[in-house]
Amino acid sequence: MSGGKIRVGIVGAGRMGITHYAIINSHPDVEVTAVAEPSSVMRLFLDKSVKAATYKDAETMFDKQALDAILLCTPPALNHGILTAAHRKGLHAFVEKPFLLSVREGEELAALFDGSRLVNQVGYVNRFNDVFVAVKRYLQAGLLGEILRFRSEMYSSTVVREEAGEGWRSSHANGGGATYEMASHAIDLINFLFGPPDKVAGSRLTHVFSKNVEDVVSSTFAYKSGCTGALYVNWSDASFRKPTNKLEVFGRRGKILADQHGLKLFLDHDDPERGFKRGWNTLYITDVFNSVPFYVRGVEFTAQLYHFIEKIKAAEDRRTMCSFADATATLAVIDEIFRDAAVIEKEMV
Amino acid sequence: MSTIDQIVFGDNQFFGINHMSQDKAQQLAERFHDLDAIFSVYDAAIDAGLRAVMLNSNSRAAEICDRFRSNPSRYAGLSWYPSIPYPHKYANWVAEKGIVGTLNDVLFQKGRLSGIGKLAQGGLALMSMDIVRMMKMLVDAEMQMFDGLNIKVVFLQNIVTDLLLGLDTADIFREYCEHVRRKYGAMPGLITQNMPYLRNKLMEWGISGVVICSSINKIGYLMSPGVEAYKQALAENDPEAFPMMAMSTLASGAVPPKEAYDFVNSLNIQSVVFGASSRPHIEETIRLIK
Repeated sequence: MSGGKIRVGIVGAGRMGITHYAIINSHPDVEVTAVAEPSSVMRLFLDKSVKAATYKDAETMFDKQALDAILLCTPPALNHGILTAAHRKGLHAFVEKPFLLSVREGEELAALFDGSRLVNQVGYVNRFNDVFVAVKRYLQAGLLGEILRFRSEMYSSTVVREEAGEGWRSSHANGGGATYEMASHAIDLINFLFGPPDKVAGSRLTHVFSKNVEDVVSSTFAYKSGCTGALYVNWSDASFRKPTNKLEVFGRRGKILADQHGLKLFLDHDDPERGFKRGWNTLYITDVFNSVPFYVRGVEFTAQLYHFIEKIKAAEDRRTMCSFADATATLAVIDEIFRDAAVIEKEMV
Repeated sequence: MSTIDQIVFGDNQFFGINHMSQDKAQQLAERFHDLDAIFSVYDAAIDAGLRAVMLNSNSRAAEICDRFRSNPSRYAGLSWYPSIPYPHKYANWVAEKGIVGTLNDVLFQKGRLSGIGKLAQGGLALMSMDIVRMMKMLVDAEMQMFDGLNIKVVFLQNIVTDLLLGLDTADIFREYCEHVRRKYGAMPGLITQNMPYLRNKLMEWGISGVVICSSINKIGYLMSPGVEAYKQALAENDPEAFPMMAMSTLASGAVPPKEAYDFVNSLNIQSVVFGASSRPHIEETIRLIK
């Protein structure tokens, strides 16, 4: 670190790269010193408007700039090479989801970064949403009793026109499609709340507008405990003005309906400790939110990046709320969905 | 310097925007699908004495502006507080095409944004544009629908303000403010969820004469870094330099109106923007704001 500030380099100045830049730049202990971005137009804009130096790729940036950490916001197919180089340089790394496209590479990088005590985190932002954090707390406290069923759903109007099938988003090999790009959030939320499933079944991928990748994905998750969950994600649903997560959890003693904005809780008992009554209880985001020092896109986006910086500054426990290992577990579920869906697809022909 | 209206009638209620409940948002979107339903609320607000309107440049704003323009005898006395851009339009566009692809489309492709494509054609390429000129073109494209209305303040939406604020782009803010003053004869406005931070930065950059609109409610909802920092910034603020406008005063319904406006009234705030969808609520809110 130089002058006590953590020097951060951003790799990939697309939508997420720019958003993360704005958020982390507000942190009093951070200085964004460099950006690596292949588009010469974007570099030109950045050169004229921000203080950080710009480079055409991560390797050049690593060679020319002394850094402490990177925020990696490139298409996931590029991430393995960049992260291996970052590890060699001893850099802490925050990586946008879905992190990578291969479980084996995920395990390898998790071991490398953990082994070197380098802070590693992936941007599954729901883990920092105040409502979902509250849900996790209630489940852990056993408020619903034994969990028997859940549904994790996500909707958006991201792709609502015929796609030309161009660009990195239009193939699985590059990390495109509704499963990698959107369902990964809903799957990670399942892993966060209930753990990874023991079996994935009945998976279907549906094309609506995209040529080469799915726009809708659904699946069933089975657990040895007896719990069963359903996943349904649709990014071609024009009725949703903005991306929406919906979660339903059913237990022996009640149920929870939650989205990013609030939750409804039905209980078969009074819970004086948390102030809940038997029957319906409603909690709004305004009841559970925590303020963040700087807000751009949502409290959770700031919370996750400030957590990353906090862990870099920590002497002892450097394990993050969403480590490379956690993201690898989500990748493993995605692999299972693709494998399962391919089997079913074959049977249907 | 012209003074801003003490009460401005907002538009979130019309477009299915409710930070607290998606069900509520959906109900509102359904009810206001019909332009007549929107105008019965505007008429109620005008009957109650309101003379100032904030409207985001979303997909329905153009037809709303048309209707206001088409009845000058009833609506001519209104002051307009447009906010630009409509963020979700660009968010989806960027998700599909990337930032550069989106700018190319917006600035150079014919027909996607009315008029601007034609205006920009003639051999110009993104590479040859300076960022300030591009910002002005984007502002002008969004402002077309408000043409002919009496514009008092042009607000930049919080997602854009706060993104540029985090990136620390002093020049873009300076040029935006100048452009709004010169081209629209209006005051520049910035909507933010980081009012104390923004105000400090503007002072550091030597920019003033800017209306700052931010969430102000007693529970600190959408107020970064927190209520106390807001109270302090407001107490110190010179309203000539930065007229302050409060939004989200009810914190999406979490604070009852009386409590909410007792809090707002106790602070050094020049203006309040609120949205309501019924005559009694509009009248009650006007009574409570001092």
